Parts: sequence; C-alpha cells; structure tokens
Amino acid sequence: MKKSLDLRGLTCPEPVLRTKKLIDDQSLSCIEVLVDSEVNVQNLTRLGNSQKLTVQCKAEDEHFRVVLQRSTTNSEEQVSAEHHHDATTTRAKVSSTIAAGGNIISSTATGTIILISRNTFGEAHGSEKSKEDHDFSANLLNLFLQTLLQSGHEPRAILMVNSGVKLMDPDGPYIKVLNELKEKGIEVLACGLCLDYYGLKSKVPVEQVTNMFAICEYLFSADRIISP
Amino acid sequence: MTTNPEKPIDNNQLTNNVKAGGCSAKISAFELKQILAGLPKMKHANLLSGIDNFEDAAVYKLNDDLAIIESVDFFPPLVDDPYLYGQIAANNALSDVYAMGGKPLIAQAIFAFPTCDYPLSIAAEILRGGADQVAKAGALLTGGHSIQSSETIYGLAVTGLINPKDILTNSGARPNDRIVMTKALGTGVSLLALKAGLLSKAEQSLLFAALTTLNDRALEAARRVDIHACTDVTGFGLVGHIHEMAKASKLAARMVISALRFFPSAQEFAKQGLVPASAYGNRKSFEANVSYIKDLPLEISDLLYDPQTAGGLLFAVAENDSANLINAMSEAGIEATVIGEFTEGIPGHIDVLIS
Repeated sequence: MKKSLDLRGLTCPEPVLRTKKLIDDQSLSCIEVLVDSEVNVQNLTRLGNSQKLTVQCKAEDEHFRVVLQRSTTNSEEQVSAEHHHDATTTRAKVSSTIAAGGNIISSTATGTIILISRNTFGEAHGSEKSKEDHDFSANLLNLFLQTLLQSGHEPRAILMVNSGVKLMDPDGPYIKVLNELKEKGIEVLACGLCLDYYGLKSKVPVEQVTNMFAICEYLFSADRIISP
Repeated sequence: MTTNPEKPIDNNQLTNNVKAGGCSAKISAFELKQILAGLPKMKHANLLSGIDNFEDAAVYKLNDDLAIIESVDFFPPLVDDPYLYGQIAANNALSDVYAMGGKPLIAQAIFAFPTCDYPLSIAAEILRGGADQVAKAGALLTGGHSIQSSETIYGLAVTGLINPKDILTNSGARPNDRIVMTKALGTGVSLLALKAGLLSKAEQSLLFAALTTLNDRALEAARRVDIHACTDVTGFGLVGHIHEMAKASKLAARMVISALRFFPSAQEFAKQGLVPASAYGNRKSFEANVSYIKDLPLEISDLLYDPQTAGGLLFAVAENDSANLINAMSEAGIEATVIGEFTEGIPGHIDVLIS
C-alpha cells in the first residue's frame, strides 16, 4: 500500500515525526512525502536509512518529492551490492542516497587505500635496468590509474610516497588522471617530505600534501591496501 | 512559506512558532562571511580583539592593567519553560566573556516579545530566569531594551573585565598543544529531540543542567595551568570552532572521535534525522577543511557539525600540562577530556581520526 503526505511549510522536527508515524505502519510499502527544504530531505533520508528503507528524492518546482520504500528483501544489502564494489567488511556503510539540486548522489566511500611508493608499476628501476624497461614500467602505472578511473572503483585515498610522489609533477603524464580521480571524490595525497626531496613541493597544491602521521593512520585504518 | 493544514494548533507553547531555537538560529559562517565582507575592519591601538579571527568578544584596553570585554548574544526560545529559556539564553551570552578569559561585570537584557500571543507572566519568567543566571555569575543586570515582536527573542549584552595580560584568544595555540574540551556534545540534536517529544525525563535533566552551567568554574580551574588559547563551543559546532582556533593560530588540528563525549541518545536521534538545519549549514561552511581518515558513521559526523548552545570551553595547552588541566578540572567537579591536538600543517585543516 502507498500513502502520500504533503508536509510543505513544516519545519524540523515535524516532517520527521509525521513520516516516522507512517513508517511504523507496516502495511505501507511505499511512503511519498512532499517537503520544501533540503534540510528536510536530508533528515528524511537519515530516517529512511535508519529504518532500512530505500530513499529516493526528486526536486520538483518549488519542493522535493521524497519516496521511501520498504523492500521485501534486505534493502541494505542490495544497496551495498549496487554501490559498494569495494565493500569487504561488515562495518556500517554510509549508504545514503542524498539529493542535491535534484540529482541523486550515492555516497560510495570505502576503506581501500592505494599506496604508490615508486613511479613504476611493480619492478623497481635498479641500476641494471635499461631506460626502456623503466619507461615500460612507468607506462604500466599510468595504464593502471587510467583503468582504475574507468573501473568505477572508488578507493578512499591514493597515497604517494618515495619516488611515487613524482606522479604529482604538474608537467608529468600522470597529473591529468590523478586530477580526474580527485574530482570523483578520491583523496589524492602526497608525502611532503618526499615532495621536498624531489623538489616538487612548491608545485603541488597544499591541500594534497600530507605527512607520515596521516599516511600511517590511513594505512592502519584501511580495510584493504593495494600497492601497485 | 505556505500555511499547512497539518500544522498543529498553537497551544501557547513558547517554541511552537520557532523555526530554530538557541544557537541553531545562528546565521551560518558561510553566509556571515559574505555579509561581513563589505564592513570596514576596525583598527585601533587599544582594540585587542575585534571581528578578525572570529573571536568570541571584543576586547578594548583601558590601561595597561585593565581591558573591557564586550559581547552580545540572543536567540528565540529553545525550550517551553520560560524561566529555563531565560537562564539558558543568559548563560550562553555570559559564556563569551569567559571564553576570552574574563569575568562578567554588568549585563543589559535584549528582549522582543509578542505581548498579544502570550500572557505577560511568561515574559516576567523569561526575565527572571535571565536575571538569576546573571546573579549566579556574580554580575549585575542593569537594565535593557524591549520591543513588541511577532517572535520572542531574549539575550544579553555583557560587559566584562580582564587584565590584558590574561586575555585568552583563538590564536595562541602552539604546535603539539593538546585540545581539551569541557561539556558533552549534541545540544542541537538533543533540543530538536526535545521539541519532538522524544527526550526522556532523565535525558532532559542532563541536558538542562549542561545548558545552565556557567563556564566560570571551568575557566577558574584552567587558570591553574598555562592556557595558550581558548574559545567556547557554540553555533559553528565543534569542527567550526576548532577550525577557527587552528586557522587563527596558523596550525592544523587532529581530532579523535573516541575521545568525544556525546549527550545520551544524541547519536540515535541524529541517525533518525533529527539534525538541525544549521548543522547542515556548518557542514557546508567547514567540511572542505576536514579529512576523515576513516569512514565515520553519518550520525557522528552530524554531531561534529551540530550547533551547540551554551557549550563547553575548548582549551589549547602544552602536552605536559594537559593532565594537570584535567586534574584541576576534576577537582572542581568538571569533566574535561583531551579530544585532539594542534600540529604543524595547513592552517585550519582538521584530520578526524577514529581512535
């Protein structure tokens, strides 16, 4: 059964309280609510998620239409399977679907860290290696980042240390893909000490410079670390 | 705003027509910066603290040993009990003087009241609550100004005194200083739960006790160690105030979630969507300065941005002084905890750690 509520003109906590009353009625499988502020949308999304409902929102004219649905199967697992390819643990996910300007955005942060500790994929460039070998390994790393970008996987952060920080060179071949990954909401951070050593510190935006303490915390709190 | 047929009939409760009470009514930092951008910046040799650095109050030096602290704070009702509302609003206004390290001397009331909607006895109770709180602070309520209005507003303009040597600003934190906080977090969310009728009697009494506790004894106890910087946690939420302190001190900060104390059930209420509008405003204003090193449950991050009314004090102290500070606090019967530290780094940036 479906029920609609017009809660326009009401301010917090009224929309949450009135929607909660309908959620408690187990005979309703779908609840549609009209509200007129984004705060109400966000709060109803929190309410819906706490009650394991799927929440969708659409911006219409001067108001928002929020649809809360009770699914017959475990809705949380469905959401996880759809949006969290990287989900590997059972810890609580922020699986909220929030509305911003009418678009539906899914939060997909997970605990995977990519640690890049040299400027090649795999094999280090020892003195016995030829320049061709090094170039090949460097191109592989670029290919990895391009593939990562296209794969839809969204790690929490990409951390660069040691010669890995050379990827941040604004004139280098990696900066474009790194910026595109950053635009997807992935934190792209480089070790300050290492940037300094390679003379790149002044060329990297301050908000992307990190320190060993933060790197250590990222690594120890990660669900998974991938080091190409 | 259209009138809604589902809206409850006004049964004369103070908070019924209030959109956002307490510090939840504050204009967001993001909006405030735009509003203030065109204002001239006052410079004067005797003006020790003005609107720069988002300080808690203005400080004007009268002579080498004496400065006055001036601050004003008011908001719409956040509870239905008029006496309690008066107490809380006065407490919140007095707090700015303590946050600068001073002692309140005199106060004047600011009062707007719809005399047609409520009996005058309600107005008298609000003022009595405020006056009692001022008396508790050892200051004098010396008058005020009142107007007719469609919305109730109450607060104080407070004048305090301080020796210029003792001023505690936002900007004195040093690298490796510990951040110590008094009082629990979550008044904004809890007050919304109160309005929703979801707060138990026990939860209410804890909340009201915190909202009417002056920060005077916390400051007095803190004076036993060398305090580098101080502010009170109010409308911009914990993250906002740590950010302002870090930025003013040209340092970065680290916050540890497991060290924070929240009001009982505040996390559960936030999870269910009882998050004040200005918490979203605070998030918008400050989130760009925050790195979460691990996924935080949404309800915890909501509480980091939750606007606090009559919140606790935040201190920056040297690492080897932090235990002394906590001890001094606990001897005075005040619970305080180390919730993080200041570090060299991007000024105003906050790394949020789980433990």
